This record gives sequence, C-alpha cells and structure tokens, in this order.
Amino acid sequence: MLFNSLEFAIFFPVVTAIFFLLSQRWRVHWLLAASCIFYMAFIPAYILILLVTILIDYFAGIYLERVEDSKQKKALLWVSILSTCTVLFIFKYFGFFTGSFVGLADLLGWHLSRPMIAIILPIGLSFHTFQSLSYVVEVYRGNQKAERNFIVYATYVMFFPQLVAGPIERPQNLLHQFREWHPFDSVRVTSGLKRMAWGFFKKLVVADRLALYVNDVYASPRNFNGLQLTLATVFFAYQIYCDFSGYTDIALGAAEVLGFHLMENFRTPYYSLSMSEFWKRWHISLSTWFRDYVYIPLGGNRVSKNRHILNLMITFTVSGLWHGANWTYVLWGFLNGLYLVAGWLTKDWRDRFYNAVGLNENTLLRKTIMLLTTFVLTCVAWILFRARSAADALYVFTHLATGWNVHQIATQQFFLRQFPVAIAALLVLEIGQLCNTVISIPSLVGKMPVMARWALYASFVMTVVMFGVYKQMQFIYFQF
Amino acid sequence: MQNKDNFDRFSSQNTLTASAEPPRPESEDAKPAAAEAADPGQKPISEPWKGVRRLACFFGIVVVLIFVMNAMITSGLRRLRTSAFGASNQIMEGKVNAQIVISGSSRALAHYDPRRIEAITGRTAFNLGRNGAQTDMQVAFLKAYLAHNRKPEIVVHNLDAFTFVTTREVFDPVEYTPYLYDRDLYSALGNINPNIWKSRYLPLYGYVVEDMNFTWVLGLKGFWGWTPPEDYFLGFNPRSKKWTDDFERMKANNPNGVHFDIEPAGIRVVEDLIQVCRQKGIQLILVYSPEYIEMQSLTSNRAQVFGLFHELADRSDVPLWDYSDWKYAGDQDLFQNSQHLNAAGAAIFSDDVANRLKVYLAARSNSARDLPVSSPATLGHAQD
Repeated sequence: MLFNSLEFAIFFPVVTAIFFLLSQRWRVHWLLAASCIFYMAFIPAYILILLVTILIDYFAGIYLERVEDSKQKKALLWVSILSTCTVLFIFKYFGFFTGSFVGLADLLGWHLSRPMIAIILPIGLSFHTFQSLSYVVEVYRGNQKAERNFIVYATYVMFFPQLVAGPIERPQNLLHQFREWHPFDSVRVTSGLKRMAWGFFKKLVVADRLALYVNDVYASPRNFNGLQLTLATVFFAYQIYCDFSGYTDIALGAAEVLGFHLMENFRTPYYSLSMSEFWKRWHISLSTWFRDYVYIPLGGNRVSKNRHILNLMITFTVSGLWHGANWTYVLWGFLNGLYLVAGWLTKDWRDRFYNAVGLNENTLLRKTIMLLTTFVLTCVAWILFRARSAADALYVFTHLATGWNVHQIATQQFFLRQFPVAIAALLVLEIGQLCNTVISIPSLVGKMPVMARWALYASFVMTVVMFGVYKQMQFIYFQF
Repeated sequence: MQNKDNFDRFSSQNTLTASAEPPRPESEDAKPAAAEAADPGQKPISEPWKGVRRLACFFGIVVVLIFVMNAMITSGLRRLRTSAFGASNQIMEGKVNAQIVISGSSRALAHYDPRRIEAITGRTAFNLGRNGAQTDMQVAFLKAYLAHNRKPEIVVHNLDAFTFVTTREVFDPVEYTPYLYDRDLYSALGNINPNIWKSRYLPLYGYVVEDMNFTWVLGLKGFWGWTPPEDYFLGFNPRSKKWTDDFERMKANNPNGVHFDIEPAGIRVVEDLIQVCRQKGIQLILVYSPEYIEMQSLTSNRAQVFGLFHELADRSDVPLWDYSDWKYAGDQDLFQNSQHLNAAGAAIFSDDVANRLKVYLAARSNSARDLPVSSPATLGHAQD
C-alpha cells in the first residue's frame, strides 16, 4: 500500500483507532495483522518470502543465544546471514549476476544463453532483509536478547510504517517498544500528524511534480538540450531527497501517532559542506548499518592507509549494489567512495589553499563554496543513479553544458505552467528548512492563538491537497 | 565478521566517513514533530476524548473546506462562456441546438470551422470535436449533446485511422468532471475507467487527482467572474502552429510504419453511432478529413481500415466522404502535423466540406436521396 493512496487514507485512521481501543495484549497482534494487510496490498503472495526471512532469523536468534561454543555460534550466524541473503540474491540479484556473467562470457567468446527467469522484486526486500540481519548480528554480539515471542519479532520486521523503505531499525531501538504501553496522547498524535503532513508536502507537492520533468528527460536524454539535462539532474536531486525523506517523515509521523519512536534518517543532507558530512546526513539508518556491519568488521580506519581506502571503496560499492541490481548503481556507489577517498586525501591541501587565500573555516564564502561543491558532486553522482544505463549516464555527463536553449525548457508532461509551482514548492521547502535551523517553526506556530494556528494548519493541508501530484507514483526507494 | 570485543574497540571512534571534520550543529532537518512535542507553549491534553474531539473538529473543518472548494470550482467551470469549457457549457445547458453538428476527435475539432459552414450552407453549425477522444468517447459526447439539445438535421462524424481503437485512458478527464451528472457521459466514462465514480463522488478528486494542469485555478477564476480568452469558435479550435517536427519524429520512431488495431468493440461503437442517428431520424455523414499525404503510406493497414469504413457505410446506407486525396494533402503549409490541419488548412477544408454539404442538402431536399460517393475534389474545389 502506498502512503500516497486513497487506501492508506482509510487504512491508517482505522488501524490507529482500533489500536488505541485494544488492550495491550492484543495491540501487537493488531499491528502485525495491519502490517500484513499493508504489505499484501502490493503482491499478496510475496508475504511468504517475508515469512521465510522472519522464520530464519527468528530461530537463528534463539539458537544463537543458546549455543555456547563461539565457533558454533559463528557458524550459526553465517548460516543465518547466508540464508537471508540467498532470498535477497534470488529475488534481486539473480538476473543481474547471470546477465553479467553471460555478458562476460560473450566477451570471451563463449556463447551462453541467458536464463529466462523474470522475477518481480518484492517491495522493500532489501530493507527488511537488512533489519532482519541487524537483529541476528546484535543477538550474536550480545547486544540484544533473542526475542522468544514470534508475534513481537514478526511485528519488528514488518511494522508497517517502516516496512518497505525503512528507516532500517536496530532491535535495541524498536523491539522493546512493542512491549510498552502507548496511551493516546493528543499532543504526540498531533505532532505525528504534522510530521506526516510535512512528509506528504515533500512527496506530493515537491517530489512527484519534479518527477514529471525528470522522468521525461531521463526516459530519452538524447531528445533534450543541455539546459533541460541540467535542470532534470538538479530536479532529481530534490526529487529523490523529497521522495525519500518525505516517506521517512510519513513513516516516523505514523509511528509517532501510534506511540513508537523510529530513528531519524535525514538531516538536511544538501546543507553538507563535504561528501563525508553528506553521508552522515543522508539515509542515516543505511549508512550506519554499513558502518556497523561492513566497514568496521573490515577494519574501518584503524588500519593502514591503503587498507582504509580499500575498506571505504568496498563499503560504498556494496552500498551501491544494495540500491539496485544494475551497473549504474554499482558505479554510483564506487563514485561516492572515490569522493570520500579524494576528500580525505586532499583535505590538508584544501585547508592550506583556503587559508592561503584568506578564507578561514568560519567564513561564509568558504562555507558557500564547500556547500555548492558538495551539491554539484552529489548531482553528478545522481546522474549515474537515475540514468537507465551507463550509456545514458555518459550522454548526460557529456551534454550538460551543450546546446542550452531557454526557449525550449518544458517537456511533454511538464508544461511551462508547472514551473512556477515547482519553484514555489522548492522555495517553501528550502525556506522552511532554513528557518528551522534558526528557530523551531512548529514551536513558533505552537505559540500562536488557536484560531490562527488552525487556520495555518488547514491552509497547509489544503495546499498539499490542491498542489499535490496524485499519479500514485511509487516512492523511489521502494524498489530497493 | 568481528566479534563483540572488536566491535566495541572500533565503534567508539570509527566512522564510515574518512575525514576528521568537526561535527556541525545538527538541528536543521525538518523535525516538527519532536520539537512540537516538547513545546512548552502547548498544554498537553490529558483527557483522550478531548483530544479526539479536537482532531475530529479539525478534520471536519478540512473536509468542509474541501467540499466548498469543489463546489466553487465546479460552479466556476460551469459559468465559463469562452474556451473549451464555454463550448461544453453551451452543449450541456442545451443552448446550441445547431442544424449541423460535427463530432469526432481533435481532427474534427481543428478541421471544421462552423462559421464557414454556416456562411456557405445557411444552416447553424457547431463542432463537438474533443481532443484525445476515441470514437467511444466521441459517441458518448454526441449522445450527451442529443440529450440536452434539439436534434440536428445532420451529424458529420469525422473518421480517423484509429476509429476502431477504443479508449484505454480518458484524455484530459477534467474536461468531463463538471458534467458527470449526465447519465450517458458518466456511463461511457465508467466503461473506460471504472474509477470514475471517485471523480463524481469524492470532492476535488476529479480536479486535483485526475488533472495535472491546474484546471481548478480556471474554475476558481471563473467563480469570481473571470473569463478566459476565446479560442473556441462555435466549438471549433483552430491550430495556429505551422508544420512542426512531430511527423519526422514519428517517422523516426516508427521506421516500419504504424498499425491501427481494428477492435470488435470499436466496430460496435461505430455501429452504435449509426443506429443512434437512424433512430433519431438524423442524417449521418461519415467524413475522413484530410491527413498529410505521406502518412497514408505509413499506415500499414490503411486499406483494411478503409475497407471497413466503406463496408459499414454501404451496409447502413450512410454517405462516406473520403478526403484522402484532397488536393492539398501534400502541402505542409496547411498542416501542423500529419493528422492536423492548421488554421489556414482548416479554412480551405471547411469551405470544401461546406460546399459539398450545401450541394448535398439541396439535392436531399429536392429529391430526398443521397448523392453518390465521389471524389471530394470534384465536389469541393470544382465548385469554388
């Protein structure tokens, strides 16, 4: 079920109302049932795949706790990880790896036929697989007690607000919340609803409108001039941010309404002054997952310089592959790894340069240059992420600066009249975020008289209703 | 995988990022929820039902606003007297009552100028052509016209190469949203899109969900008395553009030509059109208006489509005027693209067809029998 659907508009109030009417004993059962309905709205049969993952890791957790011998424990952990990852591999990567293998064989003169298996990727598979994996690893490390109640464990993996696109929760943060009593607190509920409204604004008003332009241009980049390619790339940077952080806001808001606290996933990533900072602010739950379960076990930065570089490159390349079974995603991850390595290697040199030209760390100009540089580098990487093929990405790279024509800016779906709305939406977003860095806007609004506050809230809801795009576009990260 | 000790050793200082930059204040991201929750200005409401009542009250206000907005937009669009909605309003209010009615797709809309037809035939005329409408939608709209207006003497139905292809998705559905109370229109749209009930019964759905062009702004402006500039003349919407590169792009995208399906449901729609006109005693004339000559060879099953046109016309004794060999069919100056004449082309064609209608009407009134099917050139320009 999509958050931006009529079905969810009915589903969520009903689930919430019944949740608060039930006794503690039945609430978790109700949440599990609701989560099953939510997931089965996509492809009902795929819930069986989720069930397999849940069963593997549920029993793995219990046995990991029982086994005393460290070798046996480690073996059990690997069995669990490999079993869970096999499900992910079959559904997400089988076609990619066999296709790549056949392609490589072709280059070597061996003509193999490609296996004809077309599998639709279960929605959000990578997210709940990673959440499940983090559970077994934490149980193995002794940071989390194995969950004996199957209903609670299944709800931890399937909790509907974060089921299909995260945040990828850690058991220490979420599991215990299913055992706690969450009373109806209207302040918390309204706070959650406000967060959901902000998420809907990001998704419906900003992301989905910009998507009209981006989809047109990236569907056939060769039909568009350099200005259109550049605009589409910048729009995509905002689209993917508003799409994913909008989803996160809705997820966190929905969970908050129900009384659950999920981890933050974004902290205005485009205000980062370096790529390193960007990755501390973008998709935080995934970045920290890779940090804790890939980068650190590889040795992190407590190793030789070359090994550190290798660790970074491996982590980011795998992160790219996590995003999608396509070479463009792998390249995107690799490029981000390169950014970090280059940033690290050149940091002293850049600091010396800035200081030499009189731009010390706190000057606005230096910060502006760093912010813009980071944004441009991010946009360049997004080209790889969005392009349908490496050839398309290369075309966009090489034609960004060519044939700019201000009279030819619209696309088939995105008429000129859409521009003022898109630009206004971006301005509202940026002004809102900027102001929030100085003063908490919700806090400010909260101090207004009731009539003024309600008028403001109602106007905001009506703005989302009237200026939203309701083509039921999936959230981009659902595909991962 | 490292064990717990290893993890503890690393996790204190390790970060995924490589640089050792100082942490920056992290208060920026939009986090209204948490901030609001901690807001001292807002008193927590201890009684749950009080909170529920307040929420219900707020959402009640929003629902009322949505209904009011929907009513204003619908009313505004129905008040318009110019442009596409102006033409539709005249039709739905029964204010057209023309003697000659032209129905069809965007080709009909852009090719037949009722002002010229009126001037030449001496009869009132109106154009019902709809952008992006397939025959099923065209017939539904004609039925809506007939339900609200006096029956015309003649219906000129414009044919297309895609006449027998039924609608997959309603083009610009918002054009119909203010008129979903019309039974024929609603049922025809329902056959194509079973979700049309949402546009009829859910406020704003038809204006904000089904429409991307902010037509609701036009409705609100109309509600306050604003009128858009007129670009529909008795339902005719001329195209001012000169020859575009649409055709060249279409050719490049379809190197093997194009094929238009002949769907049984599409045939039934044309038969229904013939039946409706016969039952109401309206003379139907099927017309294939000009298309750019080069397009004809690109339509791979053109002979089959035209064979069926002739078969249906002969079987029902309906005149079929085929302008495939129109004398200007190769003149790019008169076309916008392969399917649409521009304003200059439409003027010439409208005169041609009006002259032919004049002869036809004269002959009909004199002898009450049809003219034989013949080349448009002989009846059109031969009389100029």
